[in-house]
Amino acid sequence: MNKKTILILFVFLYNTSSYSQLFKDTTASFNSFSAYYLDDSKTGDFNENNRFRSNNYLNIKSNIDKNWNLELQVESYVPNSLLNYSPNFKETNLSTFNIAYNKNNLNISIGNFYEQFGSGMTLRSWEDKNLGINNSIRGLNTKYRINDEFNITALIGQQKKGFKYSKGYILGFDSEFDFSKITNGSTLLMGLSYVGRNDQNTISDFYSEMTNLFSGRIDYSSNSFYSNIEIVDKSKNPISVFGSLSNTFIKKGSSLLLNSGFFNKGFGIDFTFRRLENMSLFSEREAYGNPYNESIVNYLPALTKQHDYSLANLYVYSAQPNVSFQTNDLMKVGEIGMQIDLYYFFEKNTFIGGKFGTNVSINGAVWNNLDGNFDFDNQNYDTDLFGFGQKYFSEISLEIRKKWSSKFDNIFLFINQYYNSRFIEEKVGEVKSNVLVLENTYKLNDKKSLRLELQHLSTKDDNKNWSAYAIEFNLNSAFSIYLSDLYNYQNPKEEKKIHYYNFGGSYSKGINRFTINYGRQRGGLVCTGGICRYVPESSGLSFSISSSLF
Amino acid sequence: MNLKPIVTIVFMILFSLNNAYSQTSMPNINIKTLEGKTINSKTTYNKKGLTVYSFWATWCVPCINELDDIHNEIQKWDKANVKIIAISTDDSRTKRRIRPLVNGKKWDFKIFLDENQSLKRALNIDAIPHTIVTKGNKIIYRRIGYKPGEENYLYDFIINNSVAKN
Repeated sequence: MNKKTILILFVFLYNTSSYSQLFKDTTASFNSFSAYYLDDSKTGDFNENNRFRSNNYLNIKSNIDKNWNLELQVESYVPNSLLNYSPNFKETNLSTFNIAYNKNNLNISIGNFYEQFGSGMTLRSWEDKNLGINNSIRGLNTKYRINDEFNITALIGQQKKGFKYSKGYILGFDSEFDFSKITNGSTLLMGLSYVGRNDQNTISDFYSEMTNLFSGRIDYSSNSFYSNIEIVDKSKNPISVFGSLSNTFIKKGSSLLLNSGFFNKGFGIDFTFRRLENMSLFSEREAYGNPYNESIVNYLPALTKQHDYSLANLYVYSAQPNVSFQTNDLMKVGEIGMQIDLYYFFEKNTFIGGKFGTNVSINGAVWNNLDGNFDFDNQNYDTDLFGFGQKYFSEISLEIRKKWSSKFDNIFLFINQYYNSRFIEEKVGEVKSNVLVLENTYKLNDKKSLRLELQHLSTKDDNKNWSAYAIEFNLNSAFSIYLSDLYNYQNPKEEKKIHYYNFGGSYSKGINRFTINYGRQRGGLVCTGGICRYVPESSGLSFSISSSLF
Repeated sequence: MNLKPIVTIVFMILFSLNNAYSQTSMPNINIKTLEGKTINSKTTYNKKGLTVYSFWATWCVPCINELDDIHNEIQKWDKANVKIIAISTDDSRTKRRIRPLVNGKKWDFKIFLDENQSLKRALNIDAIPHTIVTKGNKIIYRRIGYKPGEENYLYDFIINNSVAKN
């Protein structure tokens, strides 16, 4: 059935059935992100074909009756998609379509679906419009639940890339058992998963078109303690060498994730250890290393603190799950490292707590290459299980949140970072930096508030020091305006001392939100939600609409 | 590709949707407890009064500001016969931070996890913070974003719509 037929059928069904009250609940949402790109004397002229670009998403969901749900999403990239989006997003088309049957403990879904097994190390399909990710799987997904203790999922389908689909298919099976009834007040869950990826694009005599991932996990929680472990074994897969798949460099992959934490009222600590070796998986092998994060089957995010401030996001770690042999002193086979988080609340009416109490959090993370024997000439390696190789990244941060009065509060953040550009981005050098952030919020009255953000990054490396500020004025519950600037004031090249200023506002009422922004965007590695990509610098006017039609 | 038929169809759909407007309720989606147990979102609401669903994440500063501001006056909220549920949309990158953060802040809200954003997607939530109020299972209020002081509007809305008052 082609896409147009599905649309016409949907409209027909809809128009006939709405009168007969068959569709009980219908919701629709519309999102639009547009930009008009301008030439810029500092960052350069806009050299692409269309200055005006727009991404539009219309999503409609409907409950046909108690057990049947219908969903479709139409997307339009006219005249072109925004910069940094995959060229596979073009023109207007039906993007996703799904019909699901839900009864008692059975859920059957046909069409595009989103799914995650365990922590996503074997499979995660999801949508993130801002990142241009929609790797939903089109096919059949069946879930069954027995006695609230046993969940089982089986799926098969092809993965979406832009408006197209990958050749070959993905096969998945997940089971989860809940043993809490026999563990006396604590929770014990166990899971087993399998994911198979069939790639019809690269059929070879040297390796199988099928790549298999097997995974097991255990999750334990009591009143004040939790611990979980997840392991994955990935079958042999060819390594991409300078952009093409090797017929001789064929390796297995694995991952190990350990996480444990302890908490009490006013205190919490969490520890995570992860080791990844040759773990990335794409629905098409040739998609390896694509800049749009297309065709990702599994989710391997960087396990570092996700910051909300611009200068804290200049040197962001991105996970290194892959094998990459560039030169005989730049060989990566994965990553090993850990992260620790600590939260503490200083009680009200104490010396540090003051009248409202004080929140303190500390985060530390260190990530290294795996250690082992690497042979560049013969394209081979073997690794030590717990060996730490070349350091990629480390970070320690302290955050203090303090409310001084009912009108005024502060957030203070200090970060010390080490970033190995040579190993992470396969460029040159390393960066040691310190970041300071002070956020001040002042409530003028119940309706108006003022927020001032001050940031500074100091480093002797790369482009030296940066400063940044943002002022936001909330005029009432609907209107807000802001002005911000990022300035690389110590850049060794005079012409690179650029103000990345932005000015804009937003209007929000209920579920409708409109934003407008004029300014200059920083280029480079931009990371959001654990996913990083390179973006060019740009300048222009951008606006967005987010609305629920009913 | 000729856009005309598609545009026509989209408008037909939009036009026809007017026929079937009805109040929206919390969808039937599996989410998880902090311990990892699966629970249906439809069963989470306050049977006797109103429920506030606040969609947040450990990395979202305004989300935490809103929940902190509610927490600071939690005694006032407790008297309003309202159940506050904080739905974390943290994915596997940051979800391990939820339990230490929630306890470290002494929040008393009920916390659920929407790790792959199924509930968020089902409710057409595009960005967080996003707040929803339900009466029974029916959605009676929605708001995108949070600005300092907005918790007071929310509180007034709760008081004006609380079941006890009706």
